[in-house]
Amino acid sequence: MAKPPRTWGLLAQYESAADIYKACEKVRDAGYSKWDAHTPFPVHGLDKAMGDKPSPLPWMVLGGGLTGGTFAMSFMIWVNAFDYPLNIGGKPLASVPAFIPVTFELTVLFSVFACFFGLWFLCRLPQLFHPAFANKAFARVTDDKFFIIIEAADSKFDKSNTRTLLEQTGATLIEEVED
Amino acid sequence: MATDMTAQSYGDVNLEDPVSGRELLIRGNHDFHYVTEAVCSVAEMKLLDTPKPWVFGWMLAVSVLAFLGSLILYLIWEGVGIWGNNNPVGWGWPIVNFVFWVGIGHAGTLISAILYLFRQKWRTSINRYAEAMTIFAVICALVFPGIHVGRIWLAYWLLPLPNQMDMWVNFRSPLLWDVFAVGTYFTVSLLFWFTGLVPDFATLRDRAQHKVAQVLYGIVAMGWRGSQRHWNHYEKAYQIMACFSAPLVLSVHTVVSFDFAVSQLPGWHTTIFPPYFVAGAIFSGFAMVQTLVIPARAWLGLKHIVTIKHIENMNKIILLTGSLVGYAYTMEFFMAWYSGNEYEGFTFINRMFGPYWWAYWIMMSCNVFSPQFYWFKKLRTNITFSFILSIFVNIGMWFERFVITVTSLANDFLISSWDYFVPTWVDISMFIGSFGLFFTLFLLFVRFFPVIAIAEAKSVMPEADPHYHPPHDDHPAPAAAASA
Amino acid sequence: MAHEIKIPEDVDLPASSLWSKLWIIGAGVGALGLVGTFATYSSNQKHIYHSYLFAFMTMLSIALGCLAFVIIQHVVRAGWSAVIRRIAENAMMTLPVFVLLFIPVYVGVHDLYHWSHAESLDDILKAKAPYLNMEFWRIRAVVYFVIWGVLAVFFYRKSTAQDDNQKDPSLTRSMWKASGVAVLLFGLSQTFASFDWLMSEQPHWYSTMFGVYYFAGSMLGAYAFMTLVAKGLQKGGLLKTAITTEHYHDLGKFLFGHTVFWAYIGFSQFFLIWYANIPEETEFFIHRLHHGWETVSYALPLVHFFIPFFFLLSRHVKRHPTGILVGAFYVMAMHILDVWWLVMPNAGGHMGEKIWIDACALLGVGGAFLAVFGFVMNRHKLIAIGDPRLEESLAHENY
Repeated sequence: MAKPPRTWGLLAQYESAADIYKACEKVRDAGYSKWDAHTPFPVHGLDKAMGDKPSPLPWMVLGGGLTGGTFAMSFMIWVNAFDYPLNIGGKPLASVPAFIPVTFELTVLFSVFACFFGLWFLCRLPQLFHPAFANKAFARVTDDKFFIIIEAADSKFDKSNTRTLLEQTGATLIEEVED
Repeated sequence: MATDMTAQSYGDVNLEDPVSGRELLIRGNHDFHYVTEAVCSVAEMKLLDTPKPWVFGWMLAVSVLAFLGSLILYLIWEGVGIWGNNNPVGWGWPIVNFVFWVGIGHAGTLISAILYLFRQKWRTSINRYAEAMTIFAVICALVFPGIHVGRIWLAYWLLPLPNQMDMWVNFRSPLLWDVFAVGTYFTVSLLFWFTGLVPDFATLRDRAQHKVAQVLYGIVAMGWRGSQRHWNHYEKAYQIMACFSAPLVLSVHTVVSFDFAVSQLPGWHTTIFPPYFVAGAIFSGFAMVQTLVIPARAWLGLKHIVTIKHIENMNKIILLTGSLVGYAYTMEFFMAWYSGNEYEGFTFINRMFGPYWWAYWIMMSCNVFSPQFYWFKKLRTNITFSFILSIFVNIGMWFERFVITVTSLANDFLISSWDYFVPTWVDISMFIGSFGLFFTLFLLFVRFFPVIAIAEAKSVMPEADPHYHPPHDDHPAPAAAASA
Repeated sequence: MAHEIKIPEDVDLPASSLWSKLWIIGAGVGALGLVGTFATYSSNQKHIYHSYLFAFMTMLSIALGCLAFVIIQHVVRAGWSAVIRRIAENAMMTLPVFVLLFIPVYVGVHDLYHWSHAESLDDILKAKAPYLNMEFWRIRAVVYFVIWGVLAVFFYRKSTAQDDNQKDPSLTRSMWKASGVAVLLFGLSQTFASFDWLMSEQPHWYSTMFGVYYFAGSMLGAYAFMTLVAKGLQKGGLLKTAITTEHYHDLGKFLFGHTVFWAYIGFSQFFLIWYANIPEETEFFIHRLHHGWETVSYALPLVHFFIPFFFLLSRHVKRHPTGILVGAFYVMAMHILDVWWLVMPNAGGHMGEKIWIDACALLGVGGAFLAVFGFVMNRHKLIAIGDPRLEESLAHENY
């Protein structure tokens, strides 16, 4: 039942951060959209070289934080002043100053939850399998090599033209990634 | 293990601070692959090749942990009467141990978050240890209030859960804030640590020789593939988590200090407690990082990644925070007199010359006097001295909590209720036992986890800059130039 | 991205610039302000001294904050700040002149500090007399001014010597060496000065945190001041390329961070006193919850924390040319409000009563401060042109 392998994309290997930086600028200028760079560590400024948009994560976090803070304060007021009012130490039932520590903690907790889960949602991870993993050379992406992958699904993708483009960018290795 | 011995010993060479430009954080001329190798080699060692000292150390730690476990069972069986806690000292060693461990748990997130926000790039060589230390220290800390509740099977009453009695917890109580503060801190530290680990787990996955290791590392790496589009979100996320962790660290020990300071007890109730506790926590945390890192860098062969520069920087922070703690002691003392309140005044004189004078002077000499040696660069950059001094600081900070807790309680307003606190063998053994728990976890971490943030350490190397030009263009990579 | 780093040329204050006349303008405003402050001396004596103390402590906080900033830059071997450090250095050079500005506080001591009436003290104040007495108070003031003067002159001399003696590393090294001890001296003198001149206005009240509270405010004032001056200099056609968005971004982060720090210290101080509810401590807040001062007390968390917090939170605002200007201006206003709230309730009147005297005093001391600042600014380059870390600072980029 094995399907015949299809080309999923083209993978190009680079040796240094400087090389991939220049290569990304060229691929970006060639007008590709479904492509990605893969690096062992975040290369400073590569998002600009790729024309990547800023991450929307801060907005998710702001939402999380506001939810956490509002929830904490209103929950405590409801609990200690309305649902189970009990005079303790002569403090007012709704002791706003005394509720601030927990409000702060829950603001942080909810923000960090939003940040953590938002991050993996935006990355669409966990995704344990990816076509590139089948490529032997790609294993060094987490070590010391830099890669650009242009997907075949890109409207501008053309096996020979794309390969030529990648060759011009100074790739040291170009291979097909199969699906 | 790394074999590059010249680079190794080079890590101990003390270089003068450059006035312009910055010192290399990783000593020697290495490429990215070298960093991967140096860090991964420990985690990738075959199980049967595990060094004997590690096996011995871990077994020792596990047996101490087992001892702690049996003591806890004994405690649950007998009740808290087996401790030395008496009336008036209702908070004895357990709270001292709790605050001690929580304090140690501060350096990790401080190094990861605050040093990150201040662009202190040297943190990359030590942040992973410190974060791991944080998590394990907080686990140790949580044990003590957990077993102090007495009827441990009702510990969930600490949480605001709906119940058939229609009762709620009291949110005006500082002890409840503690539950939220420490709980949040633990959760956030864990998530922060895990986020930092993901790219490094991917490295271990891609290099794994054994199927089992590959699958295990593969699961925790979650399919990370170094995608730039992911890095884009990832860096933002890391930055945001740092921004939240920084005030969170401060808040945790602030809340712990509230446990004491909202009361009216002389010696506990003083407004400087929050920042003073935070400074003390950072102080003890950095001392513990030193205690752990100095042997680890030697045994794991990472002296050129964790260089003398890192140790000196940490010593400077120890000097700073030690002096801040000294500042707080001074303010407390001054105000105890300046307040004109006789109880305040008595408490502080009593700390110095009363029945616990020895604890007070241990605290003073370890916390305030001993870090002053670090005014001298010679001592700051002496590795043996740093190790010894870090142990003194650990001792001193434990005694600080002892002094605060016990002296204030033992001699309070009413002379007829004074009593002297003596710990029992269970108190002492449980404290020792908590080290078993800590080292069991820490040794596992050192053996199977990437002990240095590989991706981050690479990103602070000069050739990580996309505008970097190798010094000689005829050599393809700087590493080649070095070996030539 | 990889710009060639150019050493800026527009670093001398031309005689045509309005900034070079700042010292005349400042002196004029200052003189008028002081005249206005003391004009009604016979009828408003007590209020006038309090107004003056408010203005004095406000401007002192900015000068001290700038001194602290300079020291901290050397302690941590900072590189990013080389292009803005000179602004703080000029501002800290006003410290020696504060000796003169201190004279009215010295003269008005009996109107300002109840404990100075040695003949009519209660038992508690008698017990405090070994610290709170005129002789020791004077000696301490001398000590503070000597410490601040020496530190300011030392760091200023070394830094300006580097201007002509390009990149002399030995100068940087000697500043590094001194900075550690300087932190210690600064911390203690600043703390006790705030006890002596602010906290002892309510001599029964005490708070171990008070020195830190004043420090937090000082740093806010200093960062706001530096941002405003940097913006102003650039408006005046100077330092066009030297100070970039990146530096404003960092200043904005510090404004934001210290807003949070101030709130943390302020909240902790209030909270512990509120929770324990001991009469001798609550006095401070009770006092500020009556006679109209409750408006300020309740407003402070909102206007001094929440508004600047949410405003400065955004990276976009910190990097926006107008955004950061508005932020710095606002923070400065709030810092002044904070010191006003610390000092003026002790004058005994209703909130806002005779506020024109307070305003005159602020113009008076502020004018004098700016006059000295402008005078110092005229004498040397506008940035630490000889700092070995200048290139690093010019090329600085946030991540």
